[in-house]
Amino acid sequence: MKLLVVEDDMTTAQYVVKGLSEEGHTVDHIDDGRDALTQAMSASYDVMVVDRMLPGLDGLSLVRALRAAKITTPIIFLTAVGGVEDRIEGLQAGADDYLTKPFAYGELSARIIALSRRPTAQAETVLTAGDLEMDLIGRTVKRAGQVIDLLPREFALLEFLLRRKGRVQTRTMLLENVWDLSFDPQTNVVETHVSRLRSKIDKPFDRELIKTVRGVGYRIEAS
Amino acid sequence: MNGLRRVIGSTPVRQAFGILALVSLVMLLTLLVAYVGLRKSMQDTMAANIEQHIAGFEVAGNASTLLTLVAAEARVVDPANRVLVYLAPDGRTSGNATARVSPDGVEILPISDDMLLSDDGYFSKAIQRLGGVLVVAESRQPLEQLRDTFFAIIMFSLGPTILITMGIGYAIATRTRARVEGIEATLAKLTEGDLTARIAEPRKREDDLKRIAVRVNKMAAAQEASVEALRQVSADIAHDLKGPLQRVSVMLHDLRDKMDDDDPRVSIVETAEDEAERAVAVFRSLLHIAQIEAGGPKAHFAQVDLGALLTKIGDLYLPTVEETGHSLTLSVDDTQIIQGDEALLGQMLANLLDNVLRHTEAGTDVSVILSDGPRLIVQDNGPGIPATERDQVVKRLYRLERSRTTPGNGLGLALVSAVAELHDAELHLEDATPGLRVVIDFGKGKKQVTRY
Repeated sequence: MKLLVVEDDMTTAQYVVKGLSEEGHTVDHIDDGRDALTQAMSASYDVMVVDRMLPGLDGLSLVRALRAAKITTPIIFLTAVGGVEDRIEGLQAGADDYLTKPFAYGELSARIIALSRRPTAQAETVLTAGDLEMDLIGRTVKRAGQVIDLLPREFALLEFLLRRKGRVQTRTMLLENVWDLSFDPQTNVVETHVSRLRSKIDKPFDRELIKTVRGVGYRIEAS
Repeated sequence: MNGLRRVIGSTPVRQAFGILALVSLVMLLTLLVAYVGLRKSMQDTMAANIEQHIAGFEVAGNASTLLTLVAAEARVVDPANRVLVYLAPDGRTSGNATARVSPDGVEILPISDDMLLSDDGYFSKAIQRLGGVLVVAESRQPLEQLRDTFFAIIMFSLGPTILITMGIGYAIATRTRARVEGIEATLAKLTEGDLTARIAEPRKREDDLKRIAVRVNKMAAAQEASVEALRQVSADIAHDLKGPLQRVSVMLHDLRDKMDDDDPRVSIVETAEDEAERAVAVFRSLLHIAQIEAGGPKAHFAQVDLGALLTKIGDLYLPTVEETGHSLTLSVDDTQIIQGDEALLGQMLANLLDNVLRHTEAGTDVSVILSDGPRLIVQDNGPGIPATERDQVVKRLYRLERSRTTPGNGLGLALVSAVAELHDAELHLEDATPGLRVVIDFGKGKKQVTRY
């Protein structure tokens, strides 16, 4: 993927650029808002990462200007302000996602991938991973031919992970998408849901389908 | 109708009406005293007149003479003004009317159609004289005229005064009300966090309202400046402190990546990473609370269904509640919709549940009740919080002595308190005997909203 990172803090920028490059993306880095606007208008990117506080032109204005110019490239907003309103303001300005500094690299990477790739088409009625099969019409799950009873929320959680097979989903992404909640729980509520789901679909079998990516989240292997 | 009620409720109108009522009362009392006095003196004059006439007839030595005397004088007197009658002992009568005397009093009757009597009645005196009865009566007409005159004075002076004063008072009050409402609206905006709101006042006018407006505007400007300064400081701190923290995290991450998984030092690096994350969490929560208290999120308020939100949070927490050996009962009554910030309300509910899970033993029951009001109750049967410390726990970074060893940063309830306040809700911590009951009453704020 071709990515544009607009960030004036050199340490964060290097960290992000290095990480994304190592994952095989082509990354352009710009440290000034005005230059970023020119660059984003002339080249096309798959995803842009924009810091809120920038010299030249602030992040909010940059996003607004890009949207006004009909540039629909997905944008992730970064902010150090950590504000309550910043999230809403950022999304209202036209950003697609939002991340508060300091963030884990894994969180950023997972979100960039989530933005660049639409989940598996809704038209599909059967989702599979290894020997697991989810029938979306019959609302049933089978593994190695064995029917597994899931609670509605466990079903939704598994469906979300299956549709994004091969991509890491962070705890906050799960909270936002499966529960439609955006806050920061102080206890391991999401982890408990995942571990319950695992005890049903993984524990009785020899191969683990839901993998934990330390400090980041969970992933169902693509193969 | 509501507008009229508000005008009447305004201070200047009430004062105008009060003064008006007082002036009217004084005027009425003065007129009443004058009327009573005049009436009394008029009655005295009439009584004196009657006595004088009776005395005039004393010259008559016998009934016949008296008859003649009365007839002579009566001839020139209009019975409508004064009646003179003598009823002789032999049945003859003379005078400009006749009279019937009974123990109840004297009844005066006309003697012919030409000799009309007064419509207003008479003030009369009858005395025994020379075996007969002499009646002298004065018409009450002057008294009636006096009453009519005073009534006219009241009608044509006091009435218009009241009407004109009321009209002027209403007009002034309507104008003043517009200014007072301007001040009220600005204050409402300021409390809601719009610190750019100012009261528009005409430059020329110099009165008390203008002075209040100027003061409010100055106060708002000062507050705006200090909030701006605070925001700047927070932003600077955020930038200056989070930057290094971010870098520390990056370096620790790099360090971790360079180590083999079986390196014994890995656990130290991972602990350091966790600690850095904790520092960030405390920092973020503090900034978060400060921003909520500044009232900014009010600008983004939308409709939130508390019942649906509670159900989602309950669903999210249920497995964890069970894993930790607690039990959770959720009781949601109907849909309860308020104006609010869903993310913050969610965080508030989550903090309350986190709080119970952290500070109570396994086996504790938690119940969450949402009822009309809306009123939210989160209650447990754990150790509770001593009455003397209940006010303290909602303060930032305050922790009970026994909680020093449990995880958490002492900001959970402070955030609950800030979010409740943002939504104009009342937060109460009560004794659930045993346990802690947290009551959040959104009703107070709702009433405030519907008033306008």
